[in-house]
Amino acid sequence: MAININSYLFTVLTLAIFMNLAISLYGIFARPSLIKKIIALTILADTANTLAIMVGYRGWPSPSQPVKPPVLTVLKPSREVIKEFASTSVDPLPQALVLTAIVIGLAVTLFLVFLTLQIYRLYGTTDVRKVAKLRG
Amino acid sequence: MSEALYVYQSVGVLVPLLGGAAFALPLFTLVIKRKVFYDAYTAFFSLVALVLASYNYVLVRAEGKPLLYAFGGWPPPLGISYEVDEFSAVLGVLTASVMFLIVAYSLWYTRFMRGYEWYYTLLLGLETGLLGCLYTGDVFNLFVMLEVLSISAYALVAFYRSRPQAVEAAMKYGIIGATATTIYFIALVFIYGALGTLNMADIALKSRLITAGVGPISPFSNGLFGNAFIAASLAIALSLWAFTYKAALFPNHFWLPDAHPEAPTPVSAALSGLVVNVGVYAVVRFLYTLFGPKSFLISFRDAVMWALLVLGIASGLVGALLMAVQSDVKRLLAYSTVSHIGLIFMGLSIGTSSVSEDVATLGLTAALYHTVNHSVGKALLFMGVGVFINLLGTRDLDKLSGSGKLSPLVMGAVIVGFLQLMGAPPLGGFFSKLLLYQSLIEAGLIVPAVLVIAISAVSILGYLKVIYGLWAKPLKEAPKQVAGMAVPKTVVLVMAVACIALGVLSPMVTGLLAGSINASFTDSGVRDYVNSFMSFAIYVVKYLGGG
Repeated sequence: MAININSYLFTVLTLAIFMNLAISLYGIFARPSLIKKIIALTILADTANTLAIMVGYRGWPSPSQPVKPPVLTVLKPSREVIKEFASTSVDPLPQALVLTAIVIGLAVTLFLVFLTLQIYRLYGTTDVRKVAKLRG
Repeated sequence: MSEALYVYQSVGVLVPLLGGAAFALPLFTLVIKRKVFYDAYTAFFSLVALVLASYNYVLVRAEGKPLLYAFGGWPPPLGISYEVDEFSAVLGVLTASVMFLIVAYSLWYTRFMRGYEWYYTLLLGLETGLLGCLYTGDVFNLFVMLEVLSISAYALVAFYRSRPQAVEAAMKYGIIGATATTIYFIALVFIYGALGTLNMADIALKSRLITAGVGPISPFSNGLFGNAFIAASLAIALSLWAFTYKAALFPNHFWLPDAHPEAPTPVSAALSGLVVNVGVYAVVRFLYTLFGPKSFLISFRDAVMWALLVLGIASGLVGALLMAVQSDVKRLLAYSTVSHIGLIFMGLSIGTSSVSEDVATLGLTAALYHTVNHSVGKALLFMGVGVFINLLGTRDLDKLSGSGKLSPLVMGAVIVGFLQLMGAPPLGGFFSKLLLYQSLIEAGLIVPAVLVIAISAVSILGYLKVIYGLWAKPLKEAPKQVAGMAVPKTVVLVMAVACIALGVLSPMVTGLLAGSINASFTDSGVRDYVNSFMSFAIYVVKYLGGG
């Protein structure tokens, strides 16, 4: 039985994404250091983005015979050209979603990093257990 | 058909205008240094929001169908569209009006505040996020607006950044909140992967078409991929975690008693009165419009409804019990929010597939009515008690004792607010709890119905403690200064009158809200929601010369 390289890679990627989700959630909830929580949060966001890209993935129509890449070369394409373009190009929406999510993630991460800095200034530690103790 | 028939600019302009106003404000700080300018600026834009939101409500009632606005003219499943039905219009009016009063109160509250320009920026950003969440017709735009709302809320909680407790509370709120919204993003990926669309109306259409056995084809986007039942169930499970976190439903309420008291007082009012509503709104939108009673997820949806009912009861009891032992008055009010969110969730979780549509809409009406009552009452309480906190500089109930004597008018309004939340007969809170009780009885849920009364009874303890402490006990220390309180007095007076009006005009209010619920969430209401989208999409495709 020949090993199907596509389904093998698909399985590996899926497993990796779900492992990553589990590890990052563990990091956010169980690690005491705020910096590590934020790192875990960015890993979670990146995993979600990878998942979105994976959903938008489209296999090359024929692996042995590469077709021409999906690029529109004429200014006013006819119906057939558009049809061919749409049948080979990748779904752009997940990429737009990921772009938006990355920008939002940047803002949130920056804000959380600032808060961590402020916590360090006020409490002298970034360990949530010590912070909770100092807060009383 | 004429083009004007389909373009509702008032729907589309509101959120971008507010967002633009919010983020243009920091630019003005480069040239203008006078506080009165920023006061007027924020008040003006919140008034514009109120006028537009009220106009949208009137318009959606006059048109008799949901209003749709497609940004950039892209037909809906391709581009982002805003779709306002009566339910979102009602909550939009509620949000804009309470927010306007909060901004008015802020004019007084910020009188000695440093950094008021950033405060106003974030407050307008918060309103943008709130109205965006309510108006959007696109699940991904809901994610974006949820983030706009959340970032403003985290930053406002940490506004007093030299206060250790405030920063710690914002950190707790922020890091789990960011996790929750990322989880919601994962839910969106599942929805898009399985159903091939992110438009709310298109999702509703597909989930109904699958049940009807017409086949998984919507004329506007791709067909299904993989096992849609599992993917959609997973998406609902993941997104409900994010929404119940925003709504602070037990066991996701842990951040609220820390975050709400630490924020500046007007922000506490906005967080407790308005931000939690967005979680409620999103849950209702997902479980009644997107994956409603006619969708293909019936069995899973029933399980979710039962879980929400149990969590609602738990939330109500936990909030009411913990409220009674608090000595920080704002923390007490925060636990009261947890309790009331529990009651609201009990109302919206009635509509399982085993009850009739009438009972389901009755439960939703009770939930909406209670949301309105709670928002007005809770905002009133935070702002009224905030006056005394501001005068005496403490949140401790013991140190605040007798402070009600400083201003009998504000104290009167605070008592009205407490009676509203307690559910005393002439006020709105009583009628919404009564309606909730009735709808639970009609759905055959006797034990939860009795528990509504039990939760109210337990919570009376906490409320009476505050009223007694503020009013009956002797005043311990004289305040710094009492003059110049015309603005907060007017605001709390207006809100107290609103509380009384919500109760005295109860038959009228209930009729209006029931009409809105019927127009949004009955079978024909959801069909209208989908039809607005379909006719717009078909119209644009024809306009562009397509088939």
